[in-house]
Amino acid sequence: MEHADQYSWIIPFVPLPIPILIGMGLLLFPTATKNLRRMWAFPNILLLSIVMIFSLDLSIQQINGSSIYQYVWSWTINNDFSFEFGYFIDSLTSIMSILITTVGIFVLIYSDNYMSHDEGYLRFFAYMSLFNTSMLGLVTSCNLIQIYIFWELVGMCSYLLIGFWFTRPAAANACQKAFVTNRIGDFGLLLGILGFYWITGSFEFQDLFEIFNNLIYNNEVHFLFVTLCASLLFAGAVAKSAQFPLHVWLPDAMEGPTPISALIHAATMVAAGIFLVARLLPLFIVIPYIMNLISLIGIITVLLGATLALAQNDIKRGLAYSTMSQLGYMMLALGMGSYRAALFHLITHAYSKALLFLASGSIIHSMEAIVGYSPEKSQNMVFMGGLRKHVPVTQIAFLVGTLSLCGIPPLACFWSKDEILSDSWLYSPIFAIIAWSTAGLTAFYMFRIYLLTFEGHLNVHFQKYSGKKSSSFYSIKLWGKEEQKIINRNFRLFPLLTLTMNNNEQPYTIGGKKEARITITNFGYKKAFSYPHESDNTMLFPMLILLLFTLFVGAIAIPFNQEGMHLDILSKLLTPSINLLHQNSNDFEDSYQFFKNATFSVSIACFGIFTAFLLYKPFYSSVQNLNLLNSFVKRGPKRILLDKMIYLIYDWSYNRGYIDMFYSISLTKGIRGLAELTHFFDRRVIDGITSGVGITSFFVGESVKYLGGSRISFYLLLYLVYVFIFLVISYFILF
Amino acid sequence: FVFTTNYFPWLTIIVFLPISAGSLLFFLPHKGNKLIKWYTICICIFELLLTTYAFCYHFRLDDPLIQLAEDYKWINFFDFYWRLGIDGLSIGPILLTGFITTLVTLAAWPVTRDSRLFHFLMLAMYSGQIGSFSSRDLLLFFIMWEFELIPVYLLLSMWGGKKRLYSATKFILYTAGGSVFLLIGVLGLGLYGSNEPTLNFETLANQSYPVALEIIFYIGFLIALAVKSPIIPLHTWLPDTHGEAHYSTCMLLARILLKMGAYGLVRINMELLPHAHSIFSPWLIIVGTMQIIYAASTSLGQRNLKKRIAYSSVSHMGFIIIGIGSITDTGLNGAILQIISHGFIGAALFFLAGTSYDRMRLVYLDEMGGMAVSIPKIFTMFSILSMASLALPGMSGFVAELIVFFGIITSQKYFLKPKILITFVMAIGMILTPIYSLSMSRQMFYGYKLFNAPSSYFFYSGPRELFVSISIFLP
Repeated sequence: MEHADQYSWIIPFVPLPIPILIGMGLLLFPTATKNLRRMWAFPNILLLSIVMIFSLDLSIQQINGSSIYQYVWSWTINNDFSFEFGYFIDSLTSIMSILITTVGIFVLIYSDNYMSHDEGYLRFFAYMSLFNTSMLGLVTSCNLIQIYIFWELVGMCSYLLIGFWFTRPAAANACQKAFVTNRIGDFGLLLGILGFYWITGSFEFQDLFEIFNNLIYNNEVHFLFVTLCASLLFAGAVAKSAQFPLHVWLPDAMEGPTPISALIHAATMVAAGIFLVARLLPLFIVIPYIMNLISLIGIITVLLGATLALAQNDIKRGLAYSTMSQLGYMMLALGMGSYRAALFHLITHAYSKALLFLASGSIIHSMEAIVGYSPEKSQNMVFMGGLRKHVPVTQIAFLVGTLSLCGIPPLACFWSKDEILSDSWLYSPIFAIIAWSTAGLTAFYMFRIYLLTFEGHLNVHFQKYSGKKSSSFYSIKLWGKEEQKIINRNFRLFPLLTLTMNNNEQPYTIGGKKEARITITNFGYKKAFSYPHESDNTMLFPMLILLLFTLFVGAIAIPFNQEGMHLDILSKLLTPSINLLHQNSNDFEDSYQFFKNATFSVSIACFGIFTAFLLYKPFYSSVQNLNLLNSFVKRGPKRILLDKMIYLIYDWSYNRGYIDMFYSISLTKGIRGLAELTHFFDRRVIDGITSGVGITSFFVGESVKYLGGSRISFYLLLYLVYVFIFLVISYFILF
Repeated sequence: FVFTTNYFPWLTIIVFLPISAGSLLFFLPHKGNKLIKWYTICICIFELLLTTYAFCYHFRLDDPLIQLAEDYKWINFFDFYWRLGIDGLSIGPILLTGFITTLVTLAAWPVTRDSRLFHFLMLAMYSGQIGSFSSRDLLLFFIMWEFELIPVYLLLSMWGGKKRLYSATKFILYTAGGSVFLLIGVLGLGLYGSNEPTLNFETLANQSYPVALEIIFYIGFLIALAVKSPIIPLHTWLPDTHGEAHYSTCMLLARILLKMGAYGLVRINMELLPHAHSIFSPWLIIVGTMQIIYAASTSLGQRNLKKRIAYSSVSHMGFIIIGIGSITDTGLNGAILQIISHGFIGAALFFLAGTSYDRMRLVYLDEMGGMAVSIPKIFTMFSILSMASLALPGMSGFVAELIVFFGIITSQKYFLKPKILITFVMAIGMILTPIYSLSMSRQMFYGYKLFNAPSSYFFYSGPRELFVSISIFLP
């Protein structure tokens, strides 16, 4: 078994040949490479599968009695300074590498179909493999410098992939935003690394932890400085995992192709921040402020992500905010010190979210044929609805993903989320209340997405009725649903709200225009009445596999009580690691506690789902529905207050919490202003001085030229003047 | 002539070969530009091979002393020697010069006007650069330094954009002004302390001076070299020059001329005047940090593509200055590595900007956009290079900057707080760099735009450019 560990350094490098080969091929033999395009997917998947088998093997070893393997090569720069490169494998690494490879393989299979008509098919696969390489490198690296290197590489891959469709200006802006935001995090990371190097003189994790603990123990370090460095390190994780102040890039990152969103921006890369914090937890744990900071950031992100997800029209953006919120849960768990729960949630969330994204990609793929290829249309939930009949498999997959994310019992996320929630009670009641209520919110917004997408009628065709988009009031009364959507688009309001408003006025305003519009539609948009189709099998297959994962991944942490306590696989993997909160909670009453918590969380989730049903219920029979809503309206002033509240929340959410706006005003304008200023300074002052010197010398030269003009009389005059002055002076001196 | 070495005079040959071969250009028959081009390229390649051969077989890496030294008495009554020699510091720049000049001649193929003179000037510059990198005599250094100003001036004033005369004049005034200080410093150093002028580097390095005098010398040299480097208040010639010059000239400028300033800083200011250097190094570091931030933020405000790249190289020079100022081995290594890596990256960026200019005929960034569809290869190379220029790990720029960072951190000379502050500010530069370089590439390539330009321009994305960019990219 030893040999596997000896050679495990090749893990990150196995997928590497593909991008190199594709890159060379594209540069040197473009046509030949392009002709072989579909061929390239196979070695890609093959290599990744090899890595997966390898990492499975590693993790099995880790389970059966494991230790930490480490191997280093050193790279000497000069005598007193050298880097060591190597790999470091422990349970964390093996978990992460399994996660990356499994999700990676399915996403690759999926994207073979998804991207098959794209011009940049090969480029896409090259980037993907490059990403896999660097991500695997990140999880196996053994020192901070190596982490930093792969960290940046991962960021670069993300940049390239977000900007994959570079002809879209939105994508161009998004990728730059993502890179710069991540770069701010990297800046913190680098400074933190340097600071810790300065304190301890080492980059290796284990040496670092040891030395640092000794220093803390002997009270030899400057405490403020240590806290500063640690929070800088944490800033790197904040940017990568899209936590609160630096989360702005993640929703915009959805401009990239959907498989990318599944792989990078839901499952793996955003988990890198969690990974980093988990890796450095021994370091952070001795600094209490940092732990508080981590959990605080986590809880803010949980809440923010959930509220922002409430009113997104774009299906992918909604999912992105939900990712952010779930990452906040993980951060929270880490901040509370429950390492196991965080990692568990990382795994389950990665599978569920990858499933959700792949399903939404499939929806987008089928919608694109109908509404056009602009992401504003094909990803817009306004146009969707009623897809259940047309894409049944996708619907099942999406439903399972949604339920899992909401925390409905047999599915994966239930176990992990429940663990985090029950841990949060032990940590702090306020955090716990926020976390619990956010669980309800999660259920609400996830079901909102689900219902808008799959239930009701397909809205695309009805959209055509209302010729111009601005003329929202012209839409037809009978079809209640679509009109609310249109208004939603135009007024940026909460759909329900506008519906209730319009119910009062529409019968009077529209009346006779109905028939005219319908007839127009009948001959104008016949072709548009095609319905979305289910995607190909190559896309459905990975979804189904991921669905199975989502169903059963939760099992790895279910305790098998009959064999004694603590025999679940995950705990076995993570036994050596830290568990702050419940060292002694493995008693029998634990299961009682567990059931109590579970029922509570499930009931909250169910409440959220129910609310979503109430608000976004598909409008099958319009009359009934109108009555229902009208009865709502009639409930009087209380309702108006509520409406205002809801309006406020949705406005906040729709404008992304105004944070983006704030950033763009303060930072972008600030930097532009600074650039203008320095440019001005450069041109006017620094250049001005030299130009001034030049001009002065020019004038001096001119005047000298004038003086030295060729007139004899002028010379004589000068001569006489000088003689006169001389005489006067000598006269004064003599007498 | 007194022949004092046992070696075959490799260095003299290396220095003299380009210019003498270049002067033969004028005797070539008038058969069009092709012959001249091929001739020049052959000379460059031959020279490069010769240099590599000489260094491979006669240079021992483990020997820290001066090697391949040559020493001839040149002018008897003035005690002026023709002293050449290289050590570990200068071998990098020399090889870099050879490599880049070869590529520059390759890149300069589209130059059709007066190409004979153009290529001759290129070769003359080649000689001058190698001469100044390998000279072991202060006066010789100065002469070589001045010698290669003339070709640059001519290159600037004859081939370039509309305002080329203005920028060429600016260039020559700045550098000539710097050279005055250099000459003062050289003569002062040489005449001090003994009746006979001593201009040898070794003897000068062992000499010690009164502190005040040393500081005065130091300031003189610093001004001279700061013009060339450029260090901030004296940098304004650079963007103008780069904005107007032909891109092959830009490559040469970015690549080698800037490096001569940094090289001189190490060679003269550090080696000859160590005490003054340790006094001045905090100021150098402060200036370097300011320069990183200042130039990076100025670069954002530029509309001209080449000027933006020029400011980015000013910003990168800040790292070199900090590395030199940090008086540690690590920092110095980082600075040298940065010299080399920025040489490659800057030259390649200019080259790509030039080639895309050949196609687009657009200079201003806000007019561009959507070029990625028509010129995908240049797009690829450009994005890789802007990644390299913002020090993405795995590229040479990253290693250099990281080592500079370590140099600062491990430096014994400074206190904790200024060190933290300086590192912090340098790291802010790290944030600004991607902003300008990525927005540059975004404005150039991303988006979608229909061009009226005939497609024959785009067809020209020939293997020549591909080869040049790949070979620059290789390190």
